[in-house]
Amino acid sequence: MKIQFTPAQLELRDELRAYFRELMTPELRAECERDMGEGGGPLWRAALAQMGRDGWIGLGWPKEYGGRGLSPLEQFVFVEEVMRAGYPFPFLTTESVGPTLAEHGNAWIREEIVPQILRGELLISIGYSEPGAGTDLASLRTSAVRDGDDWVINGQKMWTSLAHFCDYTWLAVRTDPDAPKKHKGISMFLVPNSDPGWSCTPVHTLGGVRTNATFYDNIRVSDDHRVGELNGGWKLITSQLNRERLSLINFGPVSELFNQVVHWARAAIGDDGQPVAAQSWVQANLARSRALIECMKLIVYKQSWAMTAGTLGMADASAAKVFGSEGFIEVYRLLGEIVAEAGLLRSHSPGAQEQAGRIERLYRTASIITFGGGANEIQRDIISAAGLWMPRASR
Amino acid sequence: MDFGLSEIQEQLRGLARKILDDKVSPASLAAYDEYRAPRFDRELWQTLLEAGLPAAAVAEEYGGMGLGFMELGLFIEELGRSVAPVPVLAHCVSAMLPLQQFAPAGLRERILPAAARGELLLSGDFWTGLSSADPTRLQARDQEGALILDGECAAVPFAREADWLLLPVRRGGATAVVLVDTRDPGVTLTDLQMTHFEPHCRVTLAAVSVPAADVVVASCGEELLAWTRERCAAALCAQQLGAADHALRMAASYTSERQQFGVPIATFQAVGHRMADCYIDVECLRLCAWQALSLLSDQQPATTEVQIAKIWAGDVGHRVSYACQHVHGGTGIDRDYPLWRYCLWLRYNEMALGSSGAQVAALGQRLAAGEGLFS
Repeated sequence: MKIQFTPAQLELRDELRAYFRELMTPELRAECERDMGEGGGPLWRAALAQMGRDGWIGLGWPKEYGGRGLSPLEQFVFVEEVMRAGYPFPFLTTESVGPTLAEHGNAWIREEIVPQILRGELLISIGYSEPGAGTDLASLRTSAVRDGDDWVINGQKMWTSLAHFCDYTWLAVRTDPDAPKKHKGISMFLVPNSDPGWSCTPVHTLGGVRTNATFYDNIRVSDDHRVGELNGGWKLITSQLNRERLSLINFGPVSELFNQVVHWARAAIGDDGQPVAAQSWVQANLARSRALIECMKLIVYKQSWAMTAGTLGMADASAAKVFGSEGFIEVYRLLGEIVAEAGLLRSHSPGAQEQAGRIERLYRTASIITFGGGANEIQRDIISAAGLWMPRASR
Repeated sequence: MDFGLSEIQEQLRGLARKILDDKVSPASLAAYDEYRAPRFDRELWQTLLEAGLPAAAVAEEYGGMGLGFMELGLFIEELGRSVAPVPVLAHCVSAMLPLQQFAPAGLRERILPAAARGELLLSGDFWTGLSSADPTRLQARDQEGALILDGECAAVPFAREADWLLLPVRRGGATAVVLVDTRDPGVTLTDLQMTHFEPHCRVTLAAVSVPAADVVVASCGEELLAWTRERCAAALCAQQLGAADHALRMAASYTSERQQFGVPIATFQAVGHRMADCYIDVECLRLCAWQALSLLSDQQPATTEVQIAKIWAGDVGHRVSYACQHVHGGTGIDRDYPLWRYCLWLRYNEMALGSSGAQVAALGQRLAAGEGLFS
């Protein structure tokens, strides 16, 4: 037991921090701000390819998959730093779908797709939810039907975030409509978003972020595009979601925001002529936020360590997701109270302040992850069953 | 970054669990309820001493195991899990450790080997107030090479059972720390009735003379005080972790058995989710407590991490205690069922050395001064 970074890990963190300070030019920062913090622009793409060329994206991936062979903890430090720098990193591609493809993909996927991911040149959106299949994902109806050597895919997906600038969709489809249990008739495909049968319409959200409805109209793909076993997709979905749950609670940006709010509160003078940070309620909000974020940090570090040791449990991945997603909301509220009415000004408004403007937006976007990536109710079900061995009601 | 137990840590925890499982039961604990007898199981204490556990963090030259504060903390977590009636926090954390770290060689050699063997029992006045504040209330004046002490300590655990008390005293403008013989005629002990039935006394000193040989530090005692109180706070967090984890397991197993409307009440989502929230709470406390122990074990600065752990210890103890009582219904408060003792200890660990509210204020002041930010 040693809950401290090694000198080599601290050195890596410092190296990454310096690297991203240089990478995040004012022009790139402005482009990311314009794209609502989700990327997709030309400078954003160039920066991602730069990271790929410099060998950072697969830092913690095994060497046989083309990575640098460090552990998931080093990989997490990389993602923490890139996101702390304010770069909207496409972690769904690199941290959750990518490793699942490397582990379960066929030769074409491992030799063609995975190297492009590690070079920062290929992006993947996730097609799980449908109009009628959300929390009960296994009831999905998008289908793939065998036709000779090919598959023909038809259906509709919802909340296909980032799909409008991604190259492929990691698509869950029904391949056996007669399976006795509905989650046993699902397979995974990698579908090219460039196919003429693929289309997408935007869905605009409270947070300003765009997501999509995507449509799959007689898309014909070869069997190479199928990932993992036929009708064995559910295992891949849960494995991908466990990785996603960890990536969702990256605390790099929120710890940076916290530090900035402390600096601001120490410098800004309130109505009483004293620094904002001199007020006892402000100090209490800061301390509560600090204690919450510290736990997010420890939870993700422990899980990165558990992934290295091969002991990552379902209950702990779900605990991280619940704690992190609800923790973010609490922290944004506590810090938002400190910046006060300035936190009501959108970042492009006259008079907007940098941190306060960011909190204004974060407060609007934060609700996504309490239901995205698996509703927190389902996570709590998993925790009481897998973590405490409590029986649960059949659904 | 390693969250796993080493082989030695696994063995130490296994040994502690085995002894405590063997020797501590609801029946054995019932003997001390309502102060029917001082809550000190001397036979258990002897077994633990023979196994070397209380001296885990004492150097081998003084008869200890020569391990670190991390290992002692893991042992304390097991004590919390069993709410064992032994003076480990008082004797080991608030006396042996600071003596080993700060006392002159002669005093260390005189006291530590006997304390490690359990022939001498020690305690210290480091358990009240806030871990970051100086609570010194005793006054010392110099007289012919000795220090003459007057004043009162509000609540010292195991003071009546102890041979020596480690006490911080105000000496002019400075803080000194001394050992006081509890048999000194100037020492008056008043037994207190604590919520959790652990022996505590108000200790009143009237012209107690402390010879130079019993002075641990003659001045600059603030460092000893801060060093010790951070370790006491971290030890309370470890004890809270064991107690909270055990209460949670009890509730999970009770709700899986207890049937209403023809099904186990655990199958009601409202019950399962409340337990899931407790699971997350206990995991947060575990990580924060272990981080504090790990840093202190390596003699690293840990003021922020200890404050955060104590905030969680208070919040988690409170929430887990009430949630576990609630899902047990009346059984949880029935004294024939063992949960109620855990509720008392969860409360004690929550409040001793600064509640969550007090720790939030202390951490908030440091943050406002630019300390404790993320690196």
